[in-house]
Amino acid sequence: MSNLAGIPYYVLEFGDELVYFTPYTITLFLLALTFTIFVLVSRPERQVDIAFGGDAYTTKEITISEMRFRRFMAIACGLASMGAMVTGDIFNFTLFTAMVGITNVGIVAAVKSPHVQNAAFQYGLVALTATVPLFGGAAVYAAATGSLSMIELAKGTLPAVPFVAKAFLVLGVIGEGMAPFYAAKAEMFRAPGAPYVIMCSLSSLLIFLRVIEVVMLG
Amino acid sequence: MIIRRISHYLCNYENIVPLFAGACAFIVLIGILLLPIQYHNDQLYPKTIDRNSTLDPYDRGGPPFAQATIRAQYPENSPSAGLVTSYLTPFSQFLADTTPHLGTTIVAHPGGILDEILYNTRGLDTVVEPTILFIAFAIASYLYRKGS
Repeated sequence: MSNLAGIPYYVLEFGDELVYFTPYTITLFLLALTFTIFVLVSRPERQVDIAFGGDAYTTKEITISEMRFRRFMAIACGLASMGAMVTGDIFNFTLFTAMVGITNVGIVAAVKSPHVQNAAFQYGLVALTATVPLFGGAAVYAAATGSLSMIELAKGTLPAVPFVAKAFLVLGVIGEGMAPFYAAKAEMFRAPGAPYVIMCSLSSLLIFLRVIEVVMLG
Repeated sequence: MIIRRISHYLCNYENIVPLFAGACAFIVLIGILLLPIQYHNDQLYPKTIDRNSTLDPYDRGGPPFAQATIRAQYPENSPSAGLVTSYLTPFSQFLADTTPHLGTTIVAHPGGILDEILYNTRGLDTVVEPTILFIAFAIASYLYRKGS
């Protein structure tokens, strides 16, 4: 298991799917857990628009139903991020990543602003398209190595993982997490509600950090 | 200057979709150039396809109430794998008895066949998949009701 990022402290068995806690994965897991608890207990910020050249300002109203829905999506996103951090199965990782993508869309789509919704729609299109390389990558992993278990891949006894499978997986994570496209995310951050929109950014960062470990296996 | 230009291009979110599509096309092209990818014959969960079975291609075989052989990654974690190889409601059983290919309607009616691999050895996948689906339903229903 020399390729895993550290020796697992604990391995939880779900049939063929192992969940393992190495120093690396447990750090990412605790980060996701801590931020999810913050989201759970905090209230959303209220954006203030200030008019230049005068002393006029307006505070944006956030309805209770919108706050509840976005909090629900942010918590679901946190749970999906936690799952993606500790899972030891390639296909399970892709599923959690897809879940992160769709909850990110949900967090911003609840806002009543045409500009924000347009950005969320474009992001949704990318997240939708990204599922093809994401699950295609997992399929090539299975076809070329005969296994989806990261612990088995790390042992080095299976055939080498093709470059294309790794490239597909990274491309899928880029699409779901929008990691290099923060400009588009900045447009979405015009949405009021600070702890919830930050969850989009944090979850993309976390899954991107995890996929680096995944592609170094095999 | 180049970074500024790239940032300027990316800050228009309408450019993101064509850019991502281009990246997908590029990686697929590389994949085609790197063919053939060697197929590993020693796969998990192998099964023989019986074209005459009405449950084809989801028929894993095995007599009722006996354990069929399932090759899992960690067999010690799934001691009951192979005891139940399909789940049929009475309605599904009726369709399987009277129609030729129930296996092709796996998700088309309630209580159809579900591959036991999904329930037994890969149970966590089965939990996450409907969770994604329900979250998508939740978003769609919220957006629909928001307009009213």
